[in-house]
Amino acid sequence: MSRYIVRRFLWGILLLIVVSALMFVLFRVLPTGDPAALRAGREASHKLLLEIRHDLGLDKSLLTQFWQYMKEVFFHFNLGYSYYSSAPVKDLIKERLPASISLVAGGAFIWLVSGVAVGIVSAVRRRTLLDRASMGTALVLVSAPEYWLGLIVLYLFAADIGKVRIFPGAGTYVGLTSDPWKWFTSLLLPWLVVAASNAAIYARLMRGSLIDVMGEDYIRTARAKGLSERRVILRHGVRAAINPIVTIFGLDIGVLLGSAILVETVFNVPGIGRLNYDAITHADFPIVQGTVLAAALFIVVANILVDIAYAYLDPRVRYS
Amino acid sequence: MSAPAGEPATVGAAPNGREPLLRVEDLRVEFPTEDGVVHAVDGITYQVFPGGTLGIVGESGSGKTVSSLTTMGLTRRQGANISGRILFEGQDLVPLSDHDLRSIRGNEIAMVFQDPLSSLHPFYKVGTQLVEAVRAHRDVPRRQALGRAVELLGMVGIPDPGRRVHDYPHEFSGGMRQRAMIAMALANEPKLLIADEPTTALDVTVQAQILALMERLQSELGMAIVIITHDLGVVAEMADDIAVMYAGRIVETTSAERLFAAPQHPYTWGLLKSIPSLEGSRDQELVPIPGSPPSLIARPSGCHFHPRCAYAQPEHARVDPRLEPVSAGSNHHVACLLSSEEREGLWASLQRGSTPSAAVAEVGLDEQAGSPEGHA
Amino acid sequence: MVALMRRLAPGLLAGCAAVGLVACGSSSSSSSGKSSIKVAAGIVTPSTESLTGGKKGGTLTVLNHEDFEHIDPGSSYFAIDYEAVYATQRPLYSYQPNTFSTVTPDMAESAPEISADKKEITVHIRHGVHFSPPVNREVTSADVAYALDRGMNPNVANPYFLGYFESIEGAKKATGGPIPGITTPDKYTIKFKLTEPQAPIVVAALVLPVSAAVPEEYAKKYDAKKPSEYGNYQVATGPYMFKADSSGKVLGVGYQPAKSATLVRNPNWNPSTDHRPAYLDQINIQIGGDTNVIGRQVLEGSGLVQNDTPANSIVKLAYEHYRPQLEISPGAGDHYVAVNNSHGVFTNVNLRKAFWAELDREAMDKARGGALVTNVMTHFLYPEIPGFEEAGGLEGPKLDYNEHPQGDQAVAEKYMKLAGFSTGKYTGSKTVQIVGSTGAPAPEDAEITNQALKNLGFHTHLNLVDQATMYQKYCGNVAEEIDVCPSVGWIADFGDPQATLDVPFNGKLIITNGTNSNWGQVNHPKINKAMEEASKIVGVSARATAWAKIDRELVEEAVAVPYDWDKQPSIESKNVAGVGDLWNIGSWDYSYTSLK
Repeated sequence: MSRYIVRRFLWGILLLIVVSALMFVLFRVLPTGDPAALRAGREASHKLLLEIRHDLGLDKSLLTQFWQYMKEVFFHFNLGYSYYSSAPVKDLIKERLPASISLVAGGAFIWLVSGVAVGIVSAVRRRTLLDRASMGTALVLVSAPEYWLGLIVLYLFAADIGKVRIFPGAGTYVGLTSDPWKWFTSLLLPWLVVAASNAAIYARLMRGSLIDVMGEDYIRTARAKGLSERRVILRHGVRAAINPIVTIFGLDIGVLLGSAILVETVFNVPGIGRLNYDAITHADFPIVQGTVLAAALFIVVANILVDIAYAYLDPRVRYS
Repeated sequence: MSAPAGEPATVGAAPNGREPLLRVEDLRVEFPTEDGVVHAVDGITYQVFPGGTLGIVGESGSGKTVSSLTTMGLTRRQGANISGRILFEGQDLVPLSDHDLRSIRGNEIAMVFQDPLSSLHPFYKVGTQLVEAVRAHRDVPRRQALGRAVELLGMVGIPDPGRRVHDYPHEFSGGMRQRAMIAMALANEPKLLIADEPTTALDVTVQAQILALMERLQSELGMAIVIITHDLGVVAEMADDIAVMYAGRIVETTSAERLFAAPQHPYTWGLLKSIPSLEGSRDQELVPIPGSPPSLIARPSGCHFHPRCAYAQPEHARVDPRLEPVSAGSNHHVACLLSSEEREGLWASLQRGSTPSAAVAEVGLDEQAGSPEGHA
Repeated sequence: MVALMRRLAPGLLAGCAAVGLVACGSSSSSSSGKSSIKVAAGIVTPSTESLTGGKKGGTLTVLNHEDFEHIDPGSSYFAIDYEAVYATQRPLYSYQPNTFSTVTPDMAESAPEISADKKEITVHIRHGVHFSPPVNREVTSADVAYALDRGMNPNVANPYFLGYFESIEGAKKATGGPIPGITTPDKYTIKFKLTEPQAPIVVAALVLPVSAAVPEEYAKKYDAKKPSEYGNYQVATGPYMFKADSSGKVLGVGYQPAKSATLVRNPNWNPSTDHRPAYLDQINIQIGGDTNVIGRQVLEGSGLVQNDTPANSIVKLAYEHYRPQLEISPGAGDHYVAVNNSHGVFTNVNLRKAFWAELDREAMDKARGGALVTNVMTHFLYPEIPGFEEAGGLEGPKLDYNEHPQGDQAVAEKYMKLAGFSTGKYTGSKTVQIVGSTGAPAPEDAEITNQALKNLGFHTHLNLVDQATMYQKYCGNVAEEIDVCPSVGWIADFGDPQATLDVPFNGKLIITNGTNSNWGQVNHPKINKAMEEASKIVGVSARATAWAKIDRELVEEAVAVPYDWDKQPSIESKNVAGVGDLWNIGSWDYSYTSLK
C-alpha cells in the first residue's frame, strides 16, 4: 500500500511537471497578450519591450525559462512574482487558500450530507411522491447555473440587497481565525450555492447506487438474518452504496478548490479560482501558472486520498 | 384460471403422528408488474416434519425459490400478493407483522443461498457478519458472539477458525464461503433450514462436501431442511420427500425413494434424464427437457407443461390436470392427464433406452400433431 | 461597455499642452469648459458637482470589480489606479475634478517657466510637503528628478514616458540613472533641457503621475528589483497613503492584490499646500465580486461607491430608480473604425467616404448602451478636449457622408461611383480583412461593420480575437496589413487636442517594430505637417483652433469612421457626496468625495 502511494505520488509530481510544461507552451503559442506589451502599455517602444522581456526573462529560450521555473518551484518552492503587483505568487496563493478551503469544505459537507440523505430516502421510498419530488428538485438544481443561483439567493436573502434580509451578503467574508461567527454566517449563502448542484448530483448518484446495492444478494442475506430494515439499509446498503460517492467526492473537492470561480466572484470570496481568473484576464503569467499548479496539486492529492480512502472502505481493493 | 384444488400432497408421512414443523397450504404468490401479473407460485401445498428433509426440484422460474423466500417473508417488500397459509409450528406466518416475522427469520428458520460470494457482504469480515447474525436474535455481548462465531466456523469445518474469523469473504475459497454461509444460518440453531441451490455455484467435489456437511449438521442438530435445487441428483441422497415444481405448481410429489423408482410425470422424467449418472454408461445420451420454462404471466392453457411434453394429446391443451394420488390412498401425487398405464408404459420404454417418439409408438399413443417445441 | 477600453486605452502623447496651466494655487473651482454634451435630465455630471463644503470624516468603501494594475506612480496607467495614485501622490501638476483643460499646480508651486526657444523649462516646487512615514522628510526637487529618472527604468516600465519626454536631453538613452537634461539647481527648483522645441507637450505631460516625487535613498533598493517593488513599499505625498507597516511595507498590509486595499490619512500631509480638500478619514477598497451584485450593494447600501464600470443592467436600474445616485461623465474617450490608409482598398479616399456613409453608426452606439452612455461621434476631437467645439461640437462637420448616422445608401453609392465603381458596388477582387474583438459589445461592432462592407459589395473576412491580441498582434502590427479594425478607441492621457489626435493619426508616429497605435496607418503628408506645426503652439485657445482645423482635415480625408463618444456611468450610495473626475472618465475622486 505505502509503495503504491509513493508511486502515485511520483506520478503526481510528473503530472504537475507536465501541466507546467503545457501551461508554458499554451501561454506562448496561443494568440494571447504578450505580458511585456501588457506591462509596457499600448505605445511601448521596441526598446522598452525588449528591456521588459529581458527583465522578466521572456527573452530566454522556452526551455531555459521552463528549467528555471521548475528549478525555483521544486528546489526553492518559489512560484515567481506577479507581473503587475510584484507580489510573490506563493504568498498570494497561501493567503487565498483559507478562503477556498472554507468555501469548498463547508459546501462539500452540506452537499455530501444532504445529497446522501436525500438519495437514501429516495431510494428507499422509491417511486413514491417524495422520491419523485426530490429527484425533480435535483434535476432543477443540477441544471441551475451557479452564477444565476448565486444572484437569486443574494437578491432573496442577502442582508444588504435581499428581499428578506437575513444572511450576510457578498463581500462579507472574513477569515475563520479573525471572527469564527462572522466567518460562518458570511459563508452560509455561498455554501448553499456551492452545495446545491452538487447535492443534487449526489442525491441522484446515491439513489441509483443504493437501488443497485439493495438488489444485491448480500442484502437478501442481511434480511434473512432477521435484521431490522433500518439496519439492512444503513449498515449493509449504504455502506456499500457510498463507495462510488466517496470517489467522486474527493475529486470534486480537489477540482473545486482551484476552480470555484463563479461562486467566489458572485459572493466576492477571495479564493484561488478568482485569483486564477483575474490573472488570466491580465496575462499575469506567474499567477496563472502558480494557481494552475496549485489546482493540479489539489487534484493529485485528492486522487491519492481517494485511493487511500477506497482501500480503507473496500477491503477487496489491494494495491501492490 | 381455476387452480387445481389442492388435495394437499402430504409429503412425508407423519412419523409417529407428529405435527408437521412447516405446513404450506395452497400458497399463492403473485407479483403485479407493468407487463401483467406474474403467477410465481400458484397454489402449492407441502409440509416438512421436524428433522425431515424435503427437496423441491424444478427449473429456474418454476417458483421454487419464490415459495421459500415467501416462507421467510422476503417477498413482501417486492409488492407480492400472498395468499394461502404458511403454518410454522402451527402459527400462520402470512398475516404476521414484519416485526414478528423478523424474530423468526434467521432465528427459527434460516436460509442458505446459491452464490456464497455475492451473498456475503464484501466489506465486512466473516466474523462480523456472523456476530451480527447471532446478535440479531440474542442479546449477548459482542465478545461472546464472536466466540460463538468461531465455534460455528469450527463446526462447519473451517480450519483455524480463530484466525479465519477475521478474514474478509474474498479471502475465503468458494467452498469455505458456503460453509461460512451455513455457519451463519446455524447461528441461532434454527429448527428449519432452507437451502436454495446451496451447491450450484460450487465445484463438483466441493458440492459433495457441502452436502455431506449439511447431512452431518442435520443429524447433529436435528433440524428440518428444505433443499431447493434444479438437480435431482443433489436431493437423491438427502431428501426424505421430493416435490417437483413446474410453472408455479407442484406437479409430482412423493418420497424420494419412490420418485426415483417410479416417476410419474413426464417433466420428472426429463429431470431424471438430465442427471449425469456416475454409474450409468458414459455414452448414454442425456435427454434435456426441450424448450424453456413458460412465461408466468401468460401461461399455456390446459396442462402448463403440454407445449414441452412429448406425450401430450390434443385435449391436454384444454384440460388443466389436478394433483391427484397415483392410486387411491397412495402418497404419490401427480398432476398429469395421461393414464397411469400410459405413464408406466412410457417410463418402462424410456428406461430401456427408447427415444420419446419410440416410446410413444410403443405405448400406442397418438403421435401429437405438433411435436413439442424445440424437440428435434 | 467601456471597461476594457479603460484598461487599455489611455493613449499618449501630446504636444504642447503647456497651455492650460494658467492658474495656480487657487483651489476654487474654475468653470469647466462648455459642457456641450447632453446628459439625461436629473443626472449628475462631474462638471456640476460641488467641490467644496463636504462633511469631514468617515470611511468610504469602494467596491471594485477589477483589481489595480499598478499602484506604483511610475507605472500606473489605468483609471482606477489613478484614483488611488492621485489621492496618495502629488505630481507636479494635476486637474481638479471638474475640468479636463485647466491644470492646477500640485507639487509645483506655480506654472512652469518656458524659455522663448521652447527648449528650457523651469518648475519651482512647494516648500513644506513631506513624505509619509517611514521617510518623513521634506520633498525636494531631487525627489521629482528621481521620479522622472525612474520613467526610463525598465524595472519600472513606464508606458508613456518616451512618448512625451523624448525631447529631454539624454532621455532616450537613459535606463533609470540620472537623465542629463533634468537638473536641480536648488532644493526647490527643477530644470528641463530639451533637444527640440517641445516644451509645450513636456509641460502638459507633467500632470501624469510619473512626476510624483519618489525618495531615491529609500526607493533605490526596490527599484533594483526586476520588476521594481517600490509600489509595494511606496511612500505618499498626498492626503492619503496606502496603509503600511512601520517599515513602509504596503503589500499584505494596505494592499492585498485582487482582494482589498486600504487608504488611510497621511499624517505628514499639510492641507495648506494642496488643492485637495480630503474630507474622508479612510477609503476601504474591496476588489472583486460580480458587477450585478456590487452595483446593487452600492445603490441600496450606504457609504459605498463603485469605481469601475457598472453592469449595464445596474446602469439601467440606477437610471430608473436611483437617478440621483448615478453620475454620467462625458469626455470618456471614443470608439471608431480604423481603416487602413496605407495598404489595400481603403487607400482610396472615396471608398473610405463611401464606407463612412454606409455604416449604421447609430446601431453601433445602441449596442454600447444607447444615448445614456454614448453620443454619435462625428469627428475626432472628443467632448471636454479643447478644440471640440471649434471642430464642430456634437453635430460635427456638415459633410454628406457624416450627416446620417444611421447610414445613407445614396451617399455611399455616390462615393463608390467617384471611386470608379459605376454600379455603386465594389467589383474588385480584394478581400477586406476585418479584425474585431470578442468582449461585448465588440462583436456587434464587427458584425455591423461587416454588414456595411458587404452592402458595398466587398468580400470580407472577419476575425474576432481577444482585445489585447487585437491590439498587439493585428491592428497594432503594421505587417499584418489589416484593412478594418471596428473596435478601436482612444482616451487622451490629458486634456489636450494633441494628446487626442497625434498618436492615432500622425503618420510620423507609426511604429513598425513595436506596438503601433496609428491603427489605420493614417499617413497624409499634409496632415503630418500640420500636426508638427500645431504641436509647437502655446496657449489653450490657439492650440484648440489649430487642432480643430486638423480634426476637420481628418474628417475630410475620412481617415477612419468615428461612431461613439463614450460617456461613463458611475454609481454611489445615497449618503455619498461623490465627486467624479472629468479628467479620469468620471471616476470618483477620493480626495474630493465626502459622506453626507
